Amino acid sequence: MEVRDLKALLLLMQEYGLVELEIEDKKGKVRLVRGHPDRAAPPAAEPARVAARTAVPAAPKRTAARSDADGRARRGGQAPALEANQRLVASPMVGTFFRAATPNAAPFVEEGDTVRKGQPLCIIEAMKMMNEIEAEAAGRMIKILCDNGQPVEYGQPLMIMEVG
Amino acid sequence: MFKKLLVANRGTIAIRIIRACRELGIPTIAVYSTADADALHVRMADESVCIGPAAAEDSYLNIPAIISTVLTYGADAVHPGYGFLSENGDFAEACRRSGVNFVGPAARHIRLMGDKPRARRIMARHGVPVLPGSEGKGVVELRDAQAAARKLGYPILIKAAAGGGGKGMRIVRNEAELARFFPLARAESEAAFGSRTMYLEKYLERARHVEFQILADNYRNLIHLGERDCSVQRRHQKVLEEAPCPALTPKLRERMGKAAVRAAKVVGYSNVGTIEFLLAPDGEFYFIEMNTRIQVEHGVTEMVTGIDLVKESIRLAMGEKLRFAQRQVTYRGAAIECRVYAEDPDTHQPSPGTVTNHHQPGGLGVRVETALYDGYQVPVHYDPLVAKLILHADNRAGAIARAKAALREYVIDGIQTNIPLHLRILADADFQRGDYATDFLRRFEPAPVLAEAPRVAGRAS
Repeated sequence: MEVRDLKALLLLMQEYGLVELEIEDKKGKVRLVRGHPDRAAPPAAEPARVAARTAVPAAPKRTAARSDADGRARRGGQAPALEANQRLVASPMVGTFFRAATPNAAPFVEEGDTVRKGQPLCIIEAMKMMNEIEAEAAGRMIKILCDNGQPVEYGQPLMIMEVG
Repeated sequence: MFKKLLVANRGTIAIRIIRACRELGIPTIAVYSTADADALHVRMADESVCIGPAAAEDSYLNIPAIISTVLTYGADAVHPGYGFLSENGDFAEACRRSGVNFVGPAARHIRLMGDKPRARRIMARHGVPVLPGSEGKGVVELRDAQAAARKLGYPILIKAAAGGGGKGMRIVRNEAELARFFPLARAESEAAFGSRTMYLEKYLERARHVEFQILADNYRNLIHLGERDCSVQRRHQKVLEEAPCPALTPKLRERMGKAAVRAAKVVGYSNVGTIEFLLAPDGEFYFIEMNTRIQVEHGVTEMVTGIDLVKESIRLAMGEKLRFAQRQVTYRGAAIECRVYAEDPDTHQPSPGTVTNHHQPGGLGVRVETALYDGYQVPVHYDPLVAKLILHADNRAGAIARAKAALREYVIDGIQTNIPLHLRILADADFQRGDYATDFLRRFEPAPVLAEAPRVAGRAS
């Protein structure tokens, strides 16, 4: 899909107050997620909410007594705002996020790297199964949103890529 | 004490479990689908994890996703609630294999009682009365059903061997109806449970549905907490329940209670469960099935016994001993539960939508278990049960009066509910006398042809 098509879609989303839109056609699939206007998410690639999330230490400690309000803000599924040419890589399952195939191996991808279509980006370990998450399109890695070893939920934003 | 308990459910029961855990000091994890991001159970739990998209198969029924959450987020116990995975032996087994406590019976008990013909055979062998029915492991083919039916005589109830929730169930009154409805019931069973195996039971006219609450520890201590009458049903779905059952004498209660304890004891059952009986007008009673989980209507038993069943189920799963002997269980007053469904009161079609104004009743003896709040959007994907209104008073007349007052006070704007139906039930003279059976709700069904006229008039005015 062309950038200007995406822009048209984004305008439509804004007009109708849509936060999320997924379209699939012969050429492939596009998922657009807008920052929530009433939550005042900054337009930058790294909104405060996500930063807060990644700052939380990994695994069970995430419990750390939270009020309902901040807990809701921290939850996944609510995606950061994206530029028109950016795409979100979201977790397809609940599990643990790993940036490399083994503890000693180099990460699959670093911020700023060029990414090939089908290239492994990370691993989600679920029930001892290592699930490789591949790039759906070629582009450039803009931002990695999760820490190595961090638990992630279904639909949680993992990375932001620039495509096209 | 458990370190962290994962609530593998949603709606009212998830909230019920979270409240019990708060009292016990156990942190909770709520799981939810993308359709439930704003659900109350997600807000109330200490942690929450999105496990999949809206369709239940991909989220609340998704065993790998839930086990993965248990392992990734470090829970050491899982409470399945009711519905969803609560009576799935594979799920209980998967929990055990992952080293996490399943709050409920052993997987083998779930599987045994989930196989209804087998449960019937075991009960009959141990002297628990069962209704005359098809023998053996169940019937798949119509001609076998016909052969069994000739021996039994009509009317007959067709049931699914893997059944539950009224699915795959049909009453047939002659051979022609059997030929017509058996394949339908079988198709329903296949769609709901993936099983074509059916069984037949003699259908009892004017019977009451009376069930006994069982509480058991891992050390073969097992008691009952009295009965609930669940005869007010629509298409085998319970609408209103009460405790005690107005038709039981103390003597009959004792006999049925003993039979219920025996039924659960012969299989070595542990944790909470329910033995369901049909009670005939002549005072004979018959085992129909055992539910191996907490029931929707557990609240009425809690009100009359003062025992918190959800907290007890968690304690028993931690390996604690039963804290009560049978003789320590006493009953006080009467309790009624009105199940509030988000549905069109005339057509019974689900009525999802946004709750624009929510006011719940209160006062002495009024308990509301609900997942609703102002602005909540009732999703289309799940069961339409949105609230349980539970009333307790010194006696049955007091509970009925309290129920009427509370229902009139209840405001749920934005969606339609069956509150008007509850008010009609409570105003019914036979209901007030306690004289009703499983066919009771039929009297409130509009005649198919006449139904149009009053509704149109109502709209015009």
